[in-house]
Amino acid sequence: MNTNITEKDGKYFVSLEGELDTAHALEVEQAMQPLHELSGKDITIDCAHLDYIASSGLRILLALLKSAKSKGNKVVLKNLNDEIKEVFKMTGFIDLFDIE
Amino acid sequence: MGKVKNNTSQNASKRVSIAILITAAALMLLISGIQQNYARKQIRNNLERNAEMELIIKAIDVRHSIEDVSLALRNRSWEFEQFLPYPDSLFAVTRRIVEQNPNFAGCCIAMVPNYYPEKGRLFEPYTLRRGEVIETYQLASEEHDYSKNKNFILAAENGSSLWSEPYHDEEDLDVMLITYAFPIYDAYGDMAAIVGVDLSTEWIGELLNARHMFPSSYNLLLSGEGRLICSPNGEKKHKDVDQIMVLINDSTAKHTISASGRITVISFDDWEDHAKGSVYYYTPKSINPWSIAVINYDDEVFAPLIKMRWKNLLLTLAGLLILAFIIQRSAKNLTKLQRANLEREHIDSELNIARKIQMEMLPKSEETALRDDCFVVGSLDPAKMVGGDLYDHFIRDEKLFFCIGDVSGKGIPAALVMAVTHTLFRSISAHESNPARIMQALNETACQRNEQNMFVTMFIGVLDLPTGRLRYCDAGHDKPFVIGEETKQLPAKPHLPLGVMDNMVYTIQETVLRSGESLFLYTDGLTEAMNESHEQFGLKRVEKGLRDCIGKESNTSENLIRTMTNRVNAFVDGAEQSDDLTLLAIHYTPQEKPLIFCETLTLINKVSEITKLNAFVKSATAALNMETGLANQIKLAVEEAVTNVIDYAYPNGTEGNINITIEADESRIRFILTDSGAEFDPTRVSNADTTLTVDERPIGGLGVFLVRNLMDSINYERVDGKNILRMEKRYS
Repeated sequence: MNTNITEKDGKYFVSLEGELDTAHALEVEQAMQPLHELSGKDITIDCAHLDYIASSGLRILLALLKSAKSKGNKVVLKNLNDEIKEVFKMTGFIDLFDIE
Repeated sequence: MGKVKNNTSQNASKRVSIAILITAAALMLLISGIQQNYARKQIRNNLERNAEMELIIKAIDVRHSIEDVSLALRNRSWEFEQFLPYPDSLFAVTRRIVEQNPNFAGCCIAMVPNYYPEKGRLFEPYTLRRGEVIETYQLASEEHDYSKNKNFILAAENGSSLWSEPYHDEEDLDVMLITYAFPIYDAYGDMAAIVGVDLSTEWIGELLNARHMFPSSYNLLLSGEGRLICSPNGEKKHKDVDQIMVLINDSTAKHTISASGRITVISFDDWEDHAKGSVYYYTPKSINPWSIAVINYDDEVFAPLIKMRWKNLLLTLAGLLILAFIIQRSAKNLTKLQRANLEREHIDSELNIARKIQMEMLPKSEETALRDDCFVVGSLDPAKMVGGDLYDHFIRDEKLFFCIGDVSGKGIPAALVMAVTHTLFRSISAHESNPARIMQALNETACQRNEQNMFVTMFIGVLDLPTGRLRYCDAGHDKPFVIGEETKQLPAKPHLPLGVMDNMVYTIQETVLRSGESLFLYTDGLTEAMNESHEQFGLKRVEKGLRDCIGKESNTSENLIRTMTNRVNAFVDGAEQSDDLTLLAIHYTPQEKPLIFCETLTLINKVSEITKLNAFVKSATAALNMETGLANQIKLAVEEAVTNVIDYAYPNGTEGNINITIEADESRIRFILTDSGAEFDPTRVSNADTTLTVDERPIGGLGVFLVRNLMDSINYERVDGKNILRMEKRYS
């Protein structure tokens, strides 16, 4: 499970690769912790290489969305695969995030 | 609508009332009219007879009176005869006669012409009463030639006495006179003179009118020529008398009075004062040729009738009033009755709706018909439109929840309690799988505000479909039967019915149903069903009916219900159903299919173990050739379930095992998670609300939600201090 965070033109890009299961949730959560401190920066998370996500992964995304929203930042998810999109639909997350 | 209808019905009844009243009034008037007419005829007939009698009697009275006069006069003939030789003494004789009798107006002795040659041809000593003065003189002269007088000639020729026609007194025109004339003879036996005595008729009038049938009636005496001899005194009478005389003389001209020999009646009207009346006149032999008449006035004759008519009218009015009152009352009652009928119809239709609602509350067998491991059939036959029995069954998380209950009493109150109990059963068992706890919750609600002291006997069972484990709790209900190799009642701890005691503790009991076994539940409407001779169907017959179903491969739910229904109906044989009858049958047939995959993995309660788990699940789904999407869904569900156990089963810092067994037959894959941690039933966790906004949305709480949504079924059991969670998914 890899979590790459890059900054470009004052915007942050996160690339998640691999399977975000419960075993890897803590690791991803820690990697993304700095993003919670950002202010006035939108975050785009690229899920093109994310194969799987468990509810622990959904928690991390929801927590990030909550802290970004409280500062007026946007969180955009893109390139969700169909299975993950299905999980998003099932859980109602699809309505919470901006999805490209 | 109702109001308009009411008004028209009220108007209709008013119209009917008025019609009845008018008809009754017309009938009453007609009857009283006929009666009056008949009575009038009767009175008239009676009056005619009475008048005839009266006239005959009065005629006899008159005859006697005038005979008295004539006899008295004739007896005094000697007085006249004695003085014949002394013509001048005859003046004194006439004077004495008049003086002695106040009824005599005058007396004359008309000598046969030339009887006293010295007195000339005519000689007539005469005494006249002129008021108080009595004058005596010689009346005859050439101008007053008595020998040409009709009466003189008659009396002289016949030598007999006679009564003259009445005539007016020359002095007093109001006084009518008649003259009695009789011959007297001298010593040689020759006729010497005709004595005439003038009588006022007043005394005869008084005699006639001394007594009357009616106050205004009066009698008249008429001469043979139809002239009035005497009439009663009084101005009023006189006025009518003239008219009556005209009437009588008119009628006399047509029918001879004497010839008829019978009473003649002439009715008259249009006179003042006494508008109508009748004259009855008659010529009795006793006074022939005189006639006697009586005049009666209708208002007096028919006075009793008129009085009766008023009384009748008053009575009729009173009768009509009473009738009107009765009609109004009965119309009111009728309206009330109609209204009550309408209300009853209304209630009936509402009851019908209530019945439909109640029946719709009952579960459908189709729900379990889709499954191959159990089949449930129920039947409810309320004694009235609605009933107080209930049964329910549904499947949640691979458990069959079922109950049967009987609310004390019948009808609407019982139905209301039944509906509440039914609803509560559903809502409580949506998140509670322990029948004793469900019972407990039902009891608490039932005890609140139970002022009507309604109670409910109830049996609740939860059948774990994968294992056949049956957990149940009985609250005073009839014990169900288990029908298998043998047929016996389930042992049940005696608990009080619901609604009796709010701190009652209900405890759970457990047994295992084997494949092919059935459960049969019923209410006391079955065992207490009565036939015409008040015998009860009884438990023995129930048991026999169930036993008869064994061994014929027919102990299916439908067959059990059908057999029992037929038997109880045959037993009751048309007797009135006294209680609601409810039956519920559950046939349990879990399908054991050969496993093509079975592996077990043991993990410890650490998050890092998830990697092992996922690899284990992946290998299984790969072995079963599942497509990636489905495989990932299954992996996610299992990971969530296991994560839950890692998070909650064991206290922080303690290590514990989690066993994961994966079983699969050719169509289904099953995961069985077993741990020895604290009791945790994930099926009781309520679903996450996926409609909340970012801010409202809690972090977490999605695990069980995902498991439920990704798997076909989940099923939790706590057995021997272990949590056992089963999850199943069809994969081909």
